[in-house]
Amino acid sequence: MNPAQVLCIAINAGLILGISPFFMGLVKKTKALCQGRRGPPLMQPYYNLAKLLKKERVYSGNSSVIMKATPYINMAAITAAALFIPVACITTPAYGLGNIILFLYLLALAKFFMALAGLDAGSTFGGMSSSREMSISSIIEPITIVVFAALVYTLHTVNFYDMFSQTTIMQPFFQPELLFISIPLFIVLIVETARVPVDNPETHLELTMVHEGMLLEYSGRDLAFMEFSNSIKQTLFMAVLINTILPWGLSAELTAPAILFSAAAFLVKGAFLAVLMGLFESAQAKVRLFALPSLFALAFFFSILTVCLEVFS
Amino acid sequence: MIMFTSLFYLGIFLSLLGFVLPLLRLENNRKAHRTFSYSLSILSSVSFLAFSALVFLKKGEYLIPVYSNAGLIDFTFYVDQLSAFFIAVISVVSLSSAVYSFGYGEHLSHERRKDYMASLLNLFALSMVLVVASYNTLEFIFFWELLSMSSFLFVLFEYGKPGTRKAGLYYFIMTQLSTMFLLLGFFGIYANTGSFNIQPVTSLQNLTLIFLSLFIGFSIKAGVVPFHKWLPYAHPAAPSNISAMMSGVMLKVAIYGLMRFTLTVLPQERWWGVLILVAGTVSAILGVIYALKEHDIKRLLAYHSIENIGIILIGFGLYLIYSANDLNELAILALAAALFHTLNHALFKSLLFLTAGSVVSATGKHNIEEYGGLIKTMPYTAALFLIGAVSISGLPPFNGFVSELMLFQAFLGSYLIQDPLLKSLVVLCLSGFALTSALAAACFVKAFGITFLAVPRSESARDAKEVGKCMIAGAVIPAVLCIVLGVFSLQIFSLMGYRTDLPDMLVIGIIMSLFYAITYLVLKNTAANKVRAGETWGCGTPLSSRTEYTASGFSQPIVRFFKDIYQTREVNERRFYDKQNTLFKEGAGEIHLMKFFEEKLYDPVARSINYLSIKVSALENWSLDTYVLYAFLAVLATVAYVGWIA
Repeated sequence: MNPAQVLCIAINAGLILGISPFFMGLVKKTKALCQGRRGPPLMQPYYNLAKLLKKERVYSGNSSVIMKATPYINMAAITAAALFIPVACITTPAYGLGNIILFLYLLALAKFFMALAGLDAGSTFGGMSSSREMSISSIIEPITIVVFAALVYTLHTVNFYDMFSQTTIMQPFFQPELLFISIPLFIVLIVETARVPVDNPETHLELTMVHEGMLLEYSGRDLAFMEFSNSIKQTLFMAVLINTILPWGLSAELTAPAILFSAAAFLVKGAFLAVLMGLFESAQAKVRLFALPSLFALAFFFSILTVCLEVFS
Repeated sequence: MIMFTSLFYLGIFLSLLGFVLPLLRLENNRKAHRTFSYSLSILSSVSFLAFSALVFLKKGEYLIPVYSNAGLIDFTFYVDQLSAFFIAVISVVSLSSAVYSFGYGEHLSHERRKDYMASLLNLFALSMVLVVASYNTLEFIFFWELLSMSSFLFVLFEYGKPGTRKAGLYYFIMTQLSTMFLLLGFFGIYANTGSFNIQPVTSLQNLTLIFLSLFIGFSIKAGVVPFHKWLPYAHPAAPSNISAMMSGVMLKVAIYGLMRFTLTVLPQERWWGVLILVAGTVSAILGVIYALKEHDIKRLLAYHSIENIGIILIGFGLYLIYSANDLNELAILALAAALFHTLNHALFKSLLFLTAGSVVSATGKHNIEEYGGLIKTMPYTAALFLIGAVSISGLPPFNGFVSELMLFQAFLGSYLIQDPLLKSLVVLCLSGFALTSALAAACFVKAFGITFLAVPRSESARDAKEVGKCMIAGAVIPAVLCIVLGVFSLQIFSLMGYRTDLPDMLVIGIIMSLFYAITYLVLKNTAANKVRAGETWGCGTPLSSRTEYTASGFSQPIVRFFKDIYQTREVNERRFYDKQNTLFKEGAGEIHLMKFFEEKLYDPVARSINYLSIKVSALENWSLDTYVLYAFLAVLATVAYVGWIA
């Protein structure tokens, strides 16, 4: 890879890392406004991270090295995954960066260790949450793969960079397959970021909690990392969705104005999607854990439909 | 040329020596003989490994004559790249298993058993190598049976334990059934060609029948659903070092047979790929789903073998489909994935069985609900098991991920297929495969988390001690290979002359460790470094091992999601004080999981055979008159039959 490509990937990853807490805050703010509250300031997630970095860490006597290593493994895997999605500029990277399967499995690696960390302290909350997390992620996995297979069937490549360089030059809204894909992709986004109706990020109540329960024993900078990596993950899935249906503005040129313009465009589109997610969450009620398969069946239906459109066209 | 075929002879000789030596029962210093026998096993594995590496790199085909008497008995061996690959897989696992046995073999209870262990280990490993190197079908069957018998003895090794005899019986019947189907297939080929040699056949009568009988024969031995039932019985019953070999490589011998006969011997037909793909997908899904509800650690691993054999078959089926559709690049990718997964599964499964064996021998328990917290008392075993768990879950950058990635890539290339129905089938199998790999990760979070993390759940788990050096060293070999084969996968492929555009795991690995290091260093200097030891939050109540999450609890949501597959039956009995059912008095709840294949397939077949044999034995009354009458009736029937035909 030449320096320009490395620079391009670094800009993408840097933008994702920098902007992620903002999107988190925006979703929170939207939900607060919907509920008639004023809500925390938009920059609150950044303040939280800064505060947590200054706090001491508390480890349970039951926990082991898994608990201590997981925040770093999480960060490493998810930051590596951030190299896979173009948000400000598109290039043609080597070494398989941008491979969709590798992207998914880097996130799965993070999830695997997070679930282990949930079991590590020996608390019932942690165990229950990691059990639920792994169960939900196993039944969403076939849907995620078929959604991505639908993308591959439509765009004939397994690399995100190649995919999105194709979608940027397509006629807007004249790709019915891509519109169909966006429905299951949105459901995958909701599931992967642990939001209502699958999970409730606001509570630590044992009836509803999935993702938060695994973090219950974390404190200080470890917690900061777990939350930061979770927000990066959300931005990554948002970027996949945005680049699939609203790719305009994303530039293949490596000039400063073009990159600035794409970054600004991504900010606007991302903010729009974050508000949409907040509204969606406010309009939904938490679904019972065992009623989830029917929601997933809906997503599976739409992704299979896209594949069928492609297969029989 | 002479140099490296002599390595093959050397391997056979060393193994045979290792087989005979402990049986001689030389009275003085038997331990030294056993140690020597294990060392011989290691040496023979090394020489087989060197031999197969040379064959593989030279890409040649070699005929190695050993003994032949003018046609009847012909022990000539044939090794090409495919068999060399499988010999290498077998040798690596035998090697690590033999190293492990230095420690594990001495834990056995009787002096005599220790001798048999050392001796049979050599025979078992040798017979696998020789099946793979067979040049004709008679040889193949001979060594196949030798393999079955030596492994059967291992299944019955701890015959005093409850359940072992049932396992032995299951294994014996299934393995003989497999031999029977193979014989049927082999004679079918012989009837067409008049030759027992394993070589390409251009035209065949009854091709479908021959293929199906070979497929069923090999499927039984490989543990493909619905012929898988012997696996979860036999693997836990065998000693752990042997389970590692049975699961790691004995199943692969059957995969070798299937590949050998479909790839090089029989002329392929289009539908075979579809059959193998579907059989593989069903095995993979059901294997992992049954593994999730299993809490006997070795049985759990046995079910994962069914899953992984399914994954290998998926790759092989995709290869057949793509090559039938002239998509050569994808076909080679799928075949490479199947073969690479064969190697990877051999490594991580033997690693997992060896470390599980360490856990079982340290705690004396098989049930993971009775483990817990072992990462503190057995840190090396825990680290090794974790490497195996991450590999088998297919997580980057380890080897299991690379072969699954190749399979996914092969699946995703299916948009090039012309036939829309075939395309849809491939996409459906893709979603099944994705489900499998996600469930495998869930299952290994359970297996590792409940076994090694949190608080010990029993006395024996609390008092467990780390196992000896040899048992750790035996597991280190496959663990290191798991990492090396994952991280350097692309480099290894290009060394073998296979160029692809797969992601470079070395780069990904470096990027990840770089980010790990950066995060660590940045934090070390900027963030607060104060650490305090506390207690787990339990809402103010004291926590103990009783309040921890259990393995059953962990898998309960998945069991509930897939209740149709498990055929779960929940029985709730409630009694109340009043007629309106408001004041609860007492109750009982039970959850039954049905053993579907056992109750619906195996038992009915067994029952009907039993019924038939009772009916037949009723004809027998120990009186000469009756037998003469039977003979007379038989003659009459023959005469009548011949009379009508003629």
